[in-house]
Amino acid sequence: MNTVVCLKQVPDTETLIKIAGTGIATDGIKWVISPYDEFAVEEALKMKEKMKAGNVTIVSLGPDRAIESIRTALAMGADTAVHVNDAAYYEKADPFATAAALAAAVKGLEYDAVFLGKQAMDDDSGQVPAMLGELLGIPVVTQVIKIEVADDKSKASVTREVEGGHALLDVSLPAVFSAQKGLNEPRYASLPGIMKAKKKPVDVKKAADLGVSDGPKTVVKELSLPPARQAGRIIQGDDAKAKAAALAKALHDEVKII
Amino acid sequence: MANLIVDERDQKFTLYEMLEVEKLCDYERYADFSADMFDMILTEAQKLAVEEIFPTLAESDKQGCRLENGQVHVPECFHRAYKLFCEAGWNCMSFPQERGGQGLPFIMRIAAHDWFVHNFAFVSYPGLGEGAAHLIEVYGNEAQKEKYLPNMLSGQWGGSMCLTEPGAGTDVGNLSTKAVRQSDGTFKLQGTKIFITAGDQDLTENIIHPVLARIEGDPAGTKGISIFLVPKFLVNEDGSLGKRNDFAVAKIEEKMGIHGSATCLINFGDSNDCTAELLGEERQGMKIMFQLMNEARIATGLQGLTSASTAYLHALQYAKDRLQGSSLMEFKNPDAPRVAIIEHPDVRRMLLWMKANVEGMRALMYYTTVCGDKAGCIKDEAEAEKWLGIVEVLTPIVKAYCTDIGFRVTETAMQVYGGYGYCSEYPIEQFLRDEKIASIYEGTNGIQALDLVGRKMGMKKGTYFMNLLGEMNGTVTRYQGNPTLKPLTDDVLQAANILAEMAMFFGSSAKAGKFLIPVGNAYPFLMMMGKIVCAWLLLWQAGIAQEKLVRLCSDKGVDSADADALLALIRENKDAAFYDGKVKTAKYFIKHVLPEVEATAKAIKSEDLSIMEIAQESFTS
Repeated sequence: MNTVVCLKQVPDTETLIKIAGTGIATDGIKWVISPYDEFAVEEALKMKEKMKAGNVTIVSLGPDRAIESIRTALAMGADTAVHVNDAAYYEKADPFATAAALAAAVKGLEYDAVFLGKQAMDDDSGQVPAMLGELLGIPVVTQVIKIEVADDKSKASVTREVEGGHALLDVSLPAVFSAQKGLNEPRYASLPGIMKAKKKPVDVKKAADLGVSDGPKTVVKELSLPPARQAGRIIQGDDAKAKAAALAKALHDEVKII
Repeated sequence: MANLIVDERDQKFTLYEMLEVEKLCDYERYADFSADMFDMILTEAQKLAVEEIFPTLAESDKQGCRLENGQVHVPECFHRAYKLFCEAGWNCMSFPQERGGQGLPFIMRIAAHDWFVHNFAFVSYPGLGEGAAHLIEVYGNEAQKEKYLPNMLSGQWGGSMCLTEPGAGTDVGNLSTKAVRQSDGTFKLQGTKIFITAGDQDLTENIIHPVLARIEGDPAGTKGISIFLVPKFLVNEDGSLGKRNDFAVAKIEEKMGIHGSATCLINFGDSNDCTAELLGEERQGMKIMFQLMNEARIATGLQGLTSASTAYLHALQYAKDRLQGSSLMEFKNPDAPRVAIIEHPDVRRMLLWMKANVEGMRALMYYTTVCGDKAGCIKDEAEAEKWLGIVEVLTPIVKAYCTDIGFRVTETAMQVYGGYGYCSEYPIEQFLRDEKIASIYEGTNGIQALDLVGRKMGMKKGTYFMNLLGEMNGTVTRYQGNPTLKPLTDDVLQAANILAEMAMFFGSSAKAGKFLIPVGNAYPFLMMMGKIVCAWLLLWQAGIAQEKLVRLCSDKGVDSADADALLALIRENKDAAFYDGKVKTAKYFIKHVLPEVEATAKAIKSEDLSIMEIAQESFTS
């Protein structure tokens, strides 16, 4: 079974984000594979191991530095990669432009399924999976927490997370699956894996090589940090009853939620 | 979870900017590797350490080990960590690839383990397996290698090192475990070993114990010692596991720390049927053991470094978060806001002292290891010998200095935490308990000092030691023209001269028959030399950092002599902050720690031997 995994390199979640214009200051940032995309890589690898055949291809849009994350996925066990290394395109790319570049890269590949995270951990837009499915003309199942592929690779039984419960559905293949937390536990890259990764082929392309000309459909006008969290307040009172009364009063008069 | 284990930037600076380890890849032996691969390895090591190994530290301390029906059970949480560790190949990084290892330079093994060893109780299991496998790889015959190595390198089988006996610890020649020759070429062992780290565990299906023993009839003392392989389960011809060998774990020690590490008392041959295979040649046990010991000493030094590094980063975070008291500048204002304790001068003193020591020790550890790697690659014999000679001289310092200073740094971290640091709710008290053993095992620090003064200094008529001094002088020469560094190079040069002078002084004392002077002062001398070596390495780092800082300033159009402009750059640029921190750290160490060597030198030169003059009866009333 051949699979494609789309992954994005994002700042490590521990990063202290600093705003610079309509983007973030990138100096000193540690870059990692977006955690939801790690689930996608793991699922593709598990599927390959289960089917005992096929290739896992990584597709990533990003500047030079993205190669580190691509190599990490190769070290985890993926076979080949396409790196859409186009800093100018990437800088301006919104979810649509991203999906367009990914779709153009994926179209040239053989695949039974495409995996990616349900959203990237940086801008959290969560739109790329659906757009990618649309552009590829295949079904999309989002927020997936379990996938079982039929032996003949014609369809998959999928469990997806929905508000307040789980939805079970069958989908014909090929299809796009967006990974939700809980799908699996991503493996660590092994040392032999790291050594092999260096020799695995990475096809480097510009957006223009893929025939992608559509620019972004959205423009970031302004970027700001969420307001700093206010310090907590300890409710004072002589005993539990007095404290409860003071709390109720505060919730009613100040916060106005009761 | 945030990383409070290793300062990544310091690690990479030391590896690449200072020691240029990527140049090892120019040698044929390491041509398969590259700097970006090294980076990936360190990234993965960090990930495993932060997500899997550090989290088992406190839990394993609480759970400890159990001995039930002769079987040791390690803390439950170690099982997953052990599996992940071995599956990824962290247990055999420097083994040849043809044997199933990764074939990496030893420096990458040390740098990766810099992330892991803070949890020494955990690392002891794969670490002892690795050590035993290494002995077999170097001294085993082909049949033994085939029989044991694949399963040991995969982590399926573990290992240990059975040396100490109730009557033979530091004085290993006194051991009484005996080996009786059998007609089929094997031996039967009988005896008791104590303090055996990883002597038993339930992580692996088999354990291969290298055991020191004396073949019946061989001479007393170290010359008569041989080394044997004693598997927990005998291995059949087809590789399957056979019967349980005749030895038993009688107890595991209750200890101050490393509670997750099983320290075993093992009785061999109670039923007279403990089967053992000779490893290497007869009566070569000590030589073989010392091969392992040298590496084990470096690894023990790493325990000191990692404890210090982890403790420092924890204390630093605490000092930034913890509000207490107001700024000294506002001492007249009763309403002054409370500030983080990192603003208090005495706390800053402790933090900078810790930082300087951690970074000095990391430089010492990595420098020594890279010297060894270079020696293994360089074809020119004289040059290879030079680097290996420096490793010989520095090994006892790495072991003793890093473990003792590591403990003191950890203790200082507790001081930063104040009363909370003393409470088990906070992690420092465990770090302190876990680290203490490092100055004791693998040859006590007193023994290391005797090794340095009695053996290493005089090796090749002192050439190895002189070569090290030559390297120090090279750094001084390189940076003495730099006006910012000149005061520091002067101090380091003076200290290096004191070191040379003290070596001569020991030499002439010994010649004059006053051997108690070097022997009685071996430990203070080792610690003095450790400070001088660290001061030199920190100066080297400061030299690189100062040049890079100046370049960075000119790139950014900042006048590096304008203190306010420089501070503004440091506040917003991480590289500038790091490089300036390096220069300040070296300055602190050289101005505040290095002067201690003058006091030590003065004390030694006084030839005062109160330690021997005082009668035993006078030690107490």
